[in-house]
Amino acid sequence: MSFDTKNKRSFKATSQIVGEEQSYLAEPIALAGSEKIVPSEVVVEAPTVSAPEVAVNEPAPYIPRKKKKFKLSLTGKKALSGWLFCLPFVIGILGIYLPIVLKSIEVGFHGSMGNNPAFTLDAYKFVFIEDGQFTTTVVDAIKDLIIQIPAIVIFSLFMAIILNQKMTGRTFFRAVFFLPVILSTGIIDAIDTRISAGAIVEGGAMDDNTGGETAGLMSSLDMEMLLSSVNLRLTLGKTTIDLVEIVTTLVNNIFEIVSRSGVQMLIFLSGLQSISPSIYESCQMEGATAWETFWKITLPMISPMILVNAIYTVVDLFTAADNRVMQGLAGYGGMFGDKNPGNFSAGIWVYTALVLVVIVVVALLLRTVVFYQRRD
Amino acid sequence: MDTVKVKRETKNKIKVDFERAPLWVRLKQKFFSFNFLKNVVFKIFRLILLIGITFVILYPYISKILKSIMSVSDMKDATVVLISKAPTLNQYWYILTENGYLKAFITTFLVSFSIALIQTLICALVAYGLAKFKFKGNAIVFAFVIATLMIPQETLKNSMTAFFRQITMIETTLNPVSLVLELIQKWTGVFENGVGFTNSLIPLYVLSVFGLGFKNGLFIFMLRQFFKGVPDELEESAFVDGSSTLRTFFSIILPISVPMLITVFIFAFSWQWTDDFYTKIFFNDASKFSFMSTIDGVPATIREMMKYETSSIQQAYSATLSGTASILIALPLIIMYVFLQRRIVEGVERSGIVG
Repeated sequence: MSFDTKNKRSFKATSQIVGEEQSYLAEPIALAGSEKIVPSEVVVEAPTVSAPEVAVNEPAPYIPRKKKKFKLSLTGKKALSGWLFCLPFVIGILGIYLPIVLKSIEVGFHGSMGNNPAFTLDAYKFVFIEDGQFTTTVVDAIKDLIIQIPAIVIFSLFMAIILNQKMTGRTFFRAVFFLPVILSTGIIDAIDTRISAGAIVEGGAMDDNTGGETAGLMSSLDMEMLLSSVNLRLTLGKTTIDLVEIVTTLVNNIFEIVSRSGVQMLIFLSGLQSISPSIYESCQMEGATAWETFWKITLPMISPMILVNAIYTVVDLFTAADNRVMQGLAGYGGMFGDKNPGNFSAGIWVYTALVLVVIVVVALLLRTVVFYQRRD
Repeated sequence: MDTVKVKRETKNKIKVDFERAPLWVRLKQKFFSFNFLKNVVFKIFRLILLIGITFVILYPYISKILKSIMSVSDMKDATVVLISKAPTLNQYWYILTENGYLKAFITTFLVSFSIALIQTLICALVAYGLAKFKFKGNAIVFAFVIATLMIPQETLKNSMTAFFRQITMIETTLNPVSLVLELIQKWTGVFENGVGFTNSLIPLYVLSVFGLGFKNGLFIFMLRQFFKGVPDELEESAFVDGSSTLRTFFSIILPISVPMLITVFIFAFSWQWTDDFYTKIFFNDASKFSFMSTIDGVPATIREMMKYETSSIQQAYSATLSGTASILIALPLIIMYVFLQRRIVEGVERSGIVG
């Protein structure tokens, strides 16, 4: 029943629209001969509107009606079903997520979880001025990030290229490389962090009982001794960057880097798979070496993936519960403890805002080098 | 080299010529060429690298497994580093019995399985809507998807707890959910004491049903990229044949995206399995429910037993217990992963996450 009425309605509506469009079409051509833009617009619109109209007139009367309704309401129908598909998420965002986010921001300005309408900036004052630790920790975290993002992105790209090659045992290696994605999360990660922290407190016995630590593999002291004769320092204005120190930090954090690059590796792998093999073939025919092929083909084609991965890495590193800022903020306390939830909220939102700024900066920087293949 | 003269380069001709050449010429050609050497050196280098990194990844697990079977005497013995001299399965026994591993296993399995199913389905729906339909606000919805991915979970910890605890107290928060619940309360009088979802699974499911669960933004993003790669002709032909959009989605799109859905399912399942964020904020009384995240404590008998040991031994033993717990937590995931890992790589490879 409802189906029928709907049909009629939409049919009426569409026929009205067609009628209106036609009258609209007829007028400007007659009136606005002087203006050049209007006729050109009309010309663009005309085929889309009048095409079904023309088709309508030819066949038997009841078939075209169906066709007409079908074609004209398609866009609207599609938009409606698009909304229907997204409905759960839209409801969730409006009903749950936004209230939670707003409440969380609000707490920072009220200073407490309760129903306290007084507006204060005490929490922000505390975060920026009274607590000297916060700013330094955040600055340190960002410094670390500047080293870690390229390390993770380059490492995962390199490993993805290797794991994309045909070789014996590829399945095994792939399985091992993606293992941390599944296993280094949540409670397992928390236990690892706790165990290694305990072991360090225990008396510097770095190599025992450390779940997540592999410092026993190569001690940073050995590395430093090995490289101490090489004076690798980069001077930028007043600051000197010790390259040896960067290398030793990276080597010591190798497990961290490897375990954080699983998803990135997957993304790069999918990107590599999507490059058409015919491009490589033609490269080979032209006599390009593997080195040239990498820089001229693989890298540009994979550059959108580099952008995605860099952003994902920033988010992943920043939002990890075991990073130093998060640990520090956990000290500000939750809502039901005796510590101040306002300070927690203020601190974490300042931090989140910084994360967003970093993401925008990374995106803008990488955008200049990203190459988008034109799709046809 | 001289012996191999090829006039017409057919495959068979080359083969015949090659087979007629003396053995040493053949060997020389095969093994003394620059390309062969280069290849060998490259392959060896690659293998060493891969094995090295495999070791880095697996070392913590191996060391944890080896340490989990150590007894107290091994910890006192300075000569024991990884290989136990008096292996024992006591730690496993304590966690299985006293920490209630089996109970935690069953609850966590049921919760993770259902949550992963819901999340996969909802994320697929939303992703399909975002990928295949043009409508005003598409970009905004997608921006929100990315935003949920970018705002750290910890940020919303307090307010999320508050949201689900005092859900009917309109005066505190003006949120639509509490308005709806308040109306229901007025009509039916069910929630007289207010609805508080403490120590309840409902918030977890509510978040999943609305696509707001852990890293659901990532799932929606992945699935959206995948659906964008599905040719429109499929839906068009289904549409011409008179299939509704929903039916097209369930009977055409979902079956062809099974590898990708399995990938998402595995991620959702294992992240829910190891989750200690939501279980911590929604369950302040862990004794009411036991999850994987609650089984890593030191049992009372151990505390009693270790009372007279030195603090370093105590610490080492509790670390060993935690390590054992994490092995037991990871074991089901590893078993699942061994069977399904090919699917993960396949799924992501086919997704064509291209910008």
